[in-house]
Amino acid sequence: MAVAEELRPGAHTTLTRRVARSPGARLAARRLLAAIPVLWGVTLLTYVVMNLLPGDAAQELLGANATPAEVHQLEIQLHLNEPFWVRYGHWLGGLFHGDLGTSLASGQNVTTILGERLPVTGELLIYAFVASIALAVGLAVLAARKPNGLADRFSITVSMTGLSVAPYVLALILIYLFAVRLRWFPAIGYTALTQDPGANLRSLTLPAAAIGFPLFSVYTRLLRADIVEQMQREDYIVTARAKGMKPWRILLRHALPNSLFGLITLVGLNLGTLVGAVAIIEPIFSLPGVGAILIQSINNHDVPVVEGIVVVFAVVVVLANLLTDLLYAVLDPRITYDEHSAS
Amino acid sequence: MSTPLPDLLAPDGALQVQRIPRPRTRGRARNLRIWLPACFLVLLAAACFGWPLVYPVPKPTGGSILNSGLPPLSPGHIFGTDPVGNDIFSRILHGGQVSFEVGFGVTAIGLVVGGLLGMAAGYWGGIADAIIMRVLDVLIAFPALVLALAIAEGLGPSELHVIWALSFFSVPAFGRIARGGTIALRGQTFMLAARLSGTKGWRIISRHVIPNIAPQLMTFSLLGVGVAMILEGALSFLGLGIPLPEASWGSMIAYGQQTISASPDLVLIPSAFLFATVVSLNVLGDALRERWGVR
Repeated sequence: MAVAEELRPGAHTTLTRRVARSPGARLAARRLLAAIPVLWGVTLLTYVVMNLLPGDAAQELLGANATPAEVHQLEIQLHLNEPFWVRYGHWLGGLFHGDLGTSLASGQNVTTILGERLPVTGELLIYAFVASIALAVGLAVLAARKPNGLADRFSITVSMTGLSVAPYVLALILIYLFAVRLRWFPAIGYTALTQDPGANLRSLTLPAAAIGFPLFSVYTRLLRADIVEQMQREDYIVTARAKGMKPWRILLRHALPNSLFGLITLVGLNLGTLVGAVAIIEPIFSLPGVGAILIQSINNHDVPVVEGIVVVFAVVVVLANLLTDLLYAVLDPRITYDEHSAS
Repeated sequence: MSTPLPDLLAPDGALQVQRIPRPRTRGRARNLRIWLPACFLVLLAAACFGWPLVYPVPKPTGGSILNSGLPPLSPGHIFGTDPVGNDIFSRILHGGQVSFEVGFGVTAIGLVVGGLLGMAAGYWGGIADAIIMRVLDVLIAFPALVLALAIAEGLGPSELHVIWALSFFSVPAFGRIARGGTIALRGQTFMLAARLSGTKGWRIISRHVIPNIAPQLMTFSLLGVGVAMILEGALSFLGLGIPLPEASWGSMIAYGQQTISASPDLVLIPSAFLFATVVSLNVLGDALRERWGVR
């Protein structure tokens, strides 16, 4: 294949060609291709699971008092009387055109619903991630500077607390303390970023804390343990010490970058599990994100909306994990992802 | 730099790395990290399951509306009553039973089903491994909460169904750990010796693999119990957990949410019990992991 390209007349190295042939781009292409069956499996599983539920959307929408005739009419209207495979095929066909279908409950386009709600969830998650990673790196470095010192004990206690507290308990306690008692933050509601950036940040701070604190604890714990271990046993640390490098500089320039690998992997893996956190925390704070509508749609058997949300999150997880691998290559030049040189 | 250079060199000339000072908690104090949470958990479980049997407490359900909303430390109701007049102390005890049952039930299912699948996949490899791991991979990649919600919704709310639904979290997690541990063991000499002496696969698994990965699975189980207890409450928040008038710590928190600004005790009391239990499980798991040298 590569040979054929070399022999092609007039082939000269342009920028696009160089990018296309870079190991990173090849890795990305391979991984994206491999992700297609996984994504397809996720959509099928969602459809099957939603289909196995007793009752259907027509029944849920009309309520318990509807007559069988009414239910049947709505079923025809929503195409629910068609066989499972036909409905799934229709939906899948629409997906290839970028059409996620229409909500059975509201008749709205799923793309429109997601377009309205995803920015809220996205902003919340970015806020939670950035804050938790930044704080975790800071605390872990302080703690690892002196193992068993004051900062280290503090970090161990805090991260144990964060690992053990249920996110919803944390959310309720934050609401009680900072919204009901101190009135520093609004308890519920959301202000759009375009409307008022300050109020927007204030309305997202408590939910971001509820989602981010457990993450922060996991990251701190992992990073601290990793840095301490590196400082203890790695040869290059001994070398750096021997040449008289300042301890802080060793920590920040040598140990920390190496320890970030584990953190990046964990962040990539965490993303997928956050759907659950979002689904619970968003309704508590009455945020108009995808979490609330996901629960509502599962209860309503609103398959297209559930599918849309699941697909978006699955794509994000796949992309995040790909980005993780590419970041590895950037951080560590020894990793090349070249299948020929891999032994 | 705190260590002078010559100290880095041991007498035989080998480079020695500066050792980190051992934690001050040694000997008895280290045992304390195991015994303290273990005793607390045993006492709490004994209280939840035994207290209502030997000592009369008010019924956890069917309270009188006349007693509704009593504050903590009211006569006869040490933690007060909830808005429908049920005694909170009694609900904590009975809810504790449910929380412990869900936590241990979900973990036991994960340990047995996931552990066996993982060990089989790791030991025999090949097609079985590929199939089992792909299924577990899909379960891990799929937002498990959606699945648990759909199952809880489909089966209807009850304690047993909550356990089934939450098992979709625990089985893949245990499966991965058991498989990883088994694969790591597969290359060991004693495993090869057992295979060469003609020992049957299941016997090798039960005599060699299980004892060797047990510490890892046990410490993970302790964390898993806490996670299951928390997730049970999460299902209650979404209206699919333990149905009223039954109680669990998680569902008490979920229902207390509605009146948090008026009576925060309804949230704080079960939260304190849930938190203390999960902290104990996590500390115990950490301490055992350290003692058994599990990474």
